[in-house]
Amino acid sequence: MDLLTFSLHNVFALLQQMSVFLVIAYLFTKSPFFRSFHIQTLHPRQLLLLYFIFSVFSILGTYFGLQVSGAIANTRAIGAVLAGIIGGPLLGGAVGLTAGLHRFSLGGFTAVSCGISTTMEGLIGGLVHLYLLRRYQQHRLLSPTVAFLTTLVAEVTQMVIILILAKPFDQAVALVRIIALPMILANSCGAAIFVSIIRDQRKMYDELSVTFSAKALKMAERTVAILGRGLDNETAQEVASVIWEETGVGAVAITDREKVLAFVGQGDDHHLIGTGISSSQVKKAIREDRIVYADGGEKKWRCSLSEGCPLGSVLSVPLRVDNELVGTINLFEPKNKLFLVTNRTLGEGITKLLSDQLLYSRYIEQKNLLTTAELKLARAQVSPHFLFNALNTIIAIIRKDSDRARDLLLHLSNFFRKNLKQTGDLATLEEELNHVQSYLVIEKARFEDRLQLEMDIDPTLMSLRLPVFTLQPIVENAIKHGISAMLGQGVIRLAVVRQSGSVRITVEDNAGNFIERGLKGLGLNIVEKRIKNLCGKNHGLEITCIPQERTEIAITVPEGGCG
Amino acid sequence: MIRALIVDDELHAREEMAALLAENGVIEVVGSCGNGIDALKMINKLRPEVLFLDIEMPVVGGFELLNMVTREIMPHVVFVTAYDQYSLKAFEEKTLDYLLKPVDPVRLTKTVAKLQQTIGENRRPVYQTEEIRRIPCLLGNRIRLIDLDEVEFIATTFAGVHAATADAEYFTEVTLKVLEERTQLFRCHKQYLVNLDCIAEIIVLEAGLAKIVTRSGKRIPVSRRYFKLIKKKLYI
Repeated sequence: MDLLTFSLHNVFALLQQMSVFLVIAYLFTKSPFFRSFHIQTLHPRQLLLLYFIFSVFSILGTYFGLQVSGAIANTRAIGAVLAGIIGGPLLGGAVGLTAGLHRFSLGGFTAVSCGISTTMEGLIGGLVHLYLLRRYQQHRLLSPTVAFLTTLVAEVTQMVIILILAKPFDQAVALVRIIALPMILANSCGAAIFVSIIRDQRKMYDELSVTFSAKALKMAERTVAILGRGLDNETAQEVASVIWEETGVGAVAITDREKVLAFVGQGDDHHLIGTGISSSQVKKAIREDRIVYADGGEKKWRCSLSEGCPLGSVLSVPLRVDNELVGTINLFEPKNKLFLVTNRTLGEGITKLLSDQLLYSRYIEQKNLLTTAELKLARAQVSPHFLFNALNTIIAIIRKDSDRARDLLLHLSNFFRKNLKQTGDLATLEEELNHVQSYLVIEKARFEDRLQLEMDIDPTLMSLRLPVFTLQPIVENAIKHGISAMLGQGVIRLAVVRQSGSVRITVEDNAGNFIERGLKGLGLNIVEKRIKNLCGKNHGLEITCIPQERTEIAITVPEGGCG
Repeated sequence: MIRALIVDDELHAREEMAALLAENGVIEVVGSCGNGIDALKMINKLRPEVLFLDIEMPVVGGFELLNMVTREIMPHVVFVTAYDQYSLKAFEEKTLDYLLKPVDPVRLTKTVAKLQQTIGENRRPVYQTEEIRRIPCLLGNRIRLIDLDEVEFIATTFAGVHAATADAEYFTEVTLKVLEERTQLFRCHKQYLVNLDCIAEIIVLEAGLAKIVTRSGKRIPVSRRYFKLIKKKLYI
């Protein structure tokens, strides 16, 4: 009876010190280290840290222990066993040995047996760790049941060891009778609760990050397409609505550098779209080009427009495109609500994403502008030399052959009409040839005998689609830099043929001047760029030149045409 | 009548200019040609007073042509061009005038009046000529531009002026006098210019005469008068 009371008392005392442990365990789960640690992949540095933490636990267990007839009833086992389960036999053994040596140093008739048994307990935990790994049951490493049973077994083992090693034997039996039950129970329960605290904390972190990620991704998905159209009142309104819905903050505002583009949520009765920025925080964010945060606690946000405005805190994030500040995204919370850190992170993240999106939209816009500009440039490239020489030729021909002069004028007007026509990016081969034909008829009249034309065109390819304004610049190039620089008979040969799955268009002259001139002129560069843009990167311009003999400019386009 | 030569690489342009000048009645077109080499030949032969000169011509352009004309027979020049990107330069060169194609007959009348006045006052055309870097030479129906570095010497014989490189000789319409004035070639004889960089050896003969052996082994005579100058030039 006396024994039982003592035992019960011991149980409570042990439970008491176990509570101290659990508080420490709880604090441990709040540490930054805990967030970064995963049981499956422990680095040597993390193992070392765990060794220290669990050794301290274990040693504290000894200190908090109760003196019972020359021995110590304690919770030393928890640290050693858990170290073993979490980190394997090496960690368990090391922690057990450390705590064991410490216990040994304190003396008493169970000094040796306790020292050895603590090491054993760490190793038992380690064996369970190995066993679970081998059975691919890593997820059970943090199972309270496993912790409970392992500690139970470990503590029973300890009792056996005490009985075997502690001398005198009958004193050992008496001790074990007193401490066995409370120690086994307290250690096992303590280990199980410790593990479940760790597990729950982990779960909470995981769940939190899952929700956070899901929210961020969903917001990204919903906003990304919108700003592809650029930043204006309409897109800003859409984006603000999405951010408001997904973050659940009180209100969301988007501004450009001067005025409010969109406002969604509480206070939208007086925060009106199109008005100038009134908030000093937002102005500050723009002026100083940095994130401004008024958490509603120390730094309050006060609406300058209305006394009754429910909003009390703000996060103002600058929206940048290519390092240029174009506006801000602002998240507000009402006075009675805390501004969540997650929302702050989300607000900053989404702004970064939107900045990138705006940059992309600007890039696309500029690319389109460039293509249009290039086409315009290509048309503008029609040289004044050509026009005035053509007119001069026609004026001369009028004296001798008015019919021919009329014909030439018709070709000239056809040529210019084609030049001015700006519909779409593509034209059929037939249209392109028609354009070139007019050009060549006029140049032929200009050069007369000095120019001879040869054509070899596959008639089945007439409907092939090419970037508009492809052929003429190449033919013009051959005339301008080839034929007109020659003293003798010039020949231009234009061929369009099928060739192994693609169509090859070649313009050849017999001047062979290309190498002397070196690089491609602007006209040819534009042609090449447009072919790459509209027909694919693998297509383009190919130039071969044998000096004084021939220059050939070849284009390959897909057999099915471009676009 | 003012004697004029039309130089333009386009047949119709030449014919139109000739027709316009004929209508005008003050100018007599003594010839027309389609490239710089022919033009040089005709200038040397026909000594026109005025050149109606196209700027953009194959191989030897209008400006280059003027560089090759001997100063004494340099005609007045009216540039004719389709596009006036060269007009500024043309004025710098102090050409008499320039016309834009297609040529406006009214504008042409003014040009002709200016010509009459200038020639009436007997003013000589003054052009700033540039150094010649390449000598245009006829080779069949092609013109080759021979780099001056390649030329070992220039000789004038009864057949004309020819430029000798290490392995060939080319005939050119550019006169020895022009080449002496506007290149780095050095006069060594009444009939020879030599490229000083290509002299391999100078053999001194009696009576102050000498012979130059070029790098490719050709021998050219040095007259007494020019030998002194060469010695001075080469610090001998």
